[in-house]
Amino acid sequence: MTRKFKFIDDLTSDVMFEAYGKTLKEVFENAAEALFSVICKVKKVEKKQSLDIDVKAKSIEELMINWLQELITAVDLKEMFFSEFKIREIDDRHLKARIRGEPISPAKGETVVKAVTYYKFKFEKTEKGYVARVSLDI
Amino acid sequence: MKEKLKKVSEFEWYLPKSTRKEMRVDGRIIANKKILDAIEEDAIQQLTNVACLPGVVEPVIGLPDMHWGYGLPMGAVSAFDDKEGIISAGLCGFDINCGINIIRTNLTADEVRKKQKELVSELFDAVPCGVGSKGKLRLTPEQLEEVLVKGIDWAVENGYATKEDKKATEELGRMDGADPSKVSDLAKKRGMPQLGTLGAGNHFLEVQRVTDIFDKETAAKWGITKKDQVMIMIHCGSRGLGHQIATDYLKIQEQAVDKYKIWLPDKQLACAPVNSQEGRDFFAAMKTAVNYSFTNRAVMTKWIRERFEKVFGRTWQEMDIKTVYAIAHNIVKLEEFDYNGKKRKLYVHRKGATRSYPGKPVIIAGTMGTSSYLLKGTETALKKTFGSSAHGAGRAMSRHAAIKKFWGGKIKQELANRGIESQSPHPKSLAEEAPLAYKDVEAVVDSVHGAGISLKVARLEPLGVIKG
Repeated sequence: MTRKFKFIDDLTSDVMFEAYGKTLKEVFENAAEALFSVICKVKKVEKKQSLDIDVKAKSIEELMINWLQELITAVDLKEMFFSEFKIREIDDRHLKARIRGEPISPAKGETVVKAVTYYKFKFEKTEKGYVARVSLDI
Repeated sequence: MKEKLKKVSEFEWYLPKSTRKEMRVDGRIIANKKILDAIEEDAIQQLTNVACLPGVVEPVIGLPDMHWGYGLPMGAVSAFDDKEGIISAGLCGFDINCGINIIRTNLTADEVRKKQKELVSELFDAVPCGVGSKGKLRLTPEQLEEVLVKGIDWAVENGYATKEDKKATEELGRMDGADPSKVSDLAKKRGMPQLGTLGAGNHFLEVQRVTDIFDKETAAKWGITKKDQVMIMIHCGSRGLGHQIATDYLKIQEQAVDKYKIWLPDKQLACAPVNSQEGRDFFAAMKTAVNYSFTNRAVMTKWIRERFEKVFGRTWQEMDIKTVYAIAHNIVKLEEFDYNGKKRKLYVHRKGATRSYPGKPVIIAGTMGTSSYLLKGTETALKKTFGSSAHGAGRAMSRHAAIKKFWGGKIKQELANRGIESQSPHPKSLAEEAPLAYKDVEAVVDSVHGAGISLKVARLEPLGVIKG
């Protein structure tokens, strides 16, 4: 199986990761999984409840930032951790997704992500597919 | 860029505006040589970025806990003219009014040691912490509006805080001009269930003991009279509400930068002219998060008092559990200074920086398991650093690197070996805040003391640690 994401040691204060995907859908789904592997024990989070998410942006780069930001917000609003991220529709400026997870609990929590930032942000299409590099303020 | 720094004294360095052609003003860094050597080149570059912004007032300041942050380093201060200047969400930080409350007691370390485990366990239960725990107070939209406007006054009116707590809070716990209509519904929804929660990351609750008193007279004035006296420290901020306000206004101010044709050396320095709609709206929204955060820490103070009562079987008044001071270290304020012989109102952005006004308390938190300091502000700070001092130790290693390098279980054991009881929702949060992931707080404090921007009053060491 190809790698979904990896963490990079870069900052003195925060977390940076790169997410990969052969398709746009995949890179967005894998970035979401990377984010939740910071927030909670993502592998232990059960897929009990679902939530539909609709995200808009002016560019594909902004769409990635807005998508991740929307997910951070969903943790507070729904008081849930998520572990499954299915992009149902996506183009450069819009995506529809269904995500699944379970109510938050101290046993499965890891840390609060305050925000997604533009620091060293990158969204590229290569021969192998897509790469998104994202820094989180935690 | 470090080679451009010129030594002013053992604790002060000057970065001339000639360093870079776009710089409008000089920079000043407060640090001893050891600390200066450890500051990242990128952080100094960021300081020069801020010196390029419109209406910036000389100098831009790096404090000894300075380390790389988004846009501006943490541990930095920048001031802007009240007419020609800008105000910036990025220069304030994502956690608006992240700050510290320091609370005294008349208990001794020995009394606490006898009940250390029980006390830490009670406090861990009283204060929801970590990303997975739910808040106990769940505000209605109407209650939240009141908190945003009234700040700590809401806590006083509803029996969570006393008038004395209010008097011991920066801005008296309430910034006037806070306007909830400038706050998004999303931010409010995130804020409603989280009042009275600690959060995670570097936020903590510590039970500490006084190890040294350097200034007896000032310490006594603040109710600190003897070594081994027990103190309580709360470090946290405005939670999801503040994070969302910062995120919302970074976007609004990115557009404002285009609209007002502001040249930015770094996109993350999004800002707006102080007197533009976007600038005024941010200030009014930021103040709501400031008020929320002061209230957040006041609410937790009540719960802490209750658990001390339970464990020690005395009232909190009998144990003299009183707020010595509550300060903000991520904030923008309009303050008046004597500047080159003239009175000038300036928008002071303190990002990871504490207000240091003559005689007023300054709190510098160490890392988990190391020392923290209580200091007093000075006239020198008004002259040199727009009335500001450092806020903490400053990270020397990324959280991710710390988790890889340290194991939480071992850190818990090491703390226990030194007589420190700790609790956290999971061991990883102890690892990411491992003491070795930070700079040496003693060197930070020596630098601010040596430069005279705040003076040591008392040194504190933890007996119990609760980490989010």
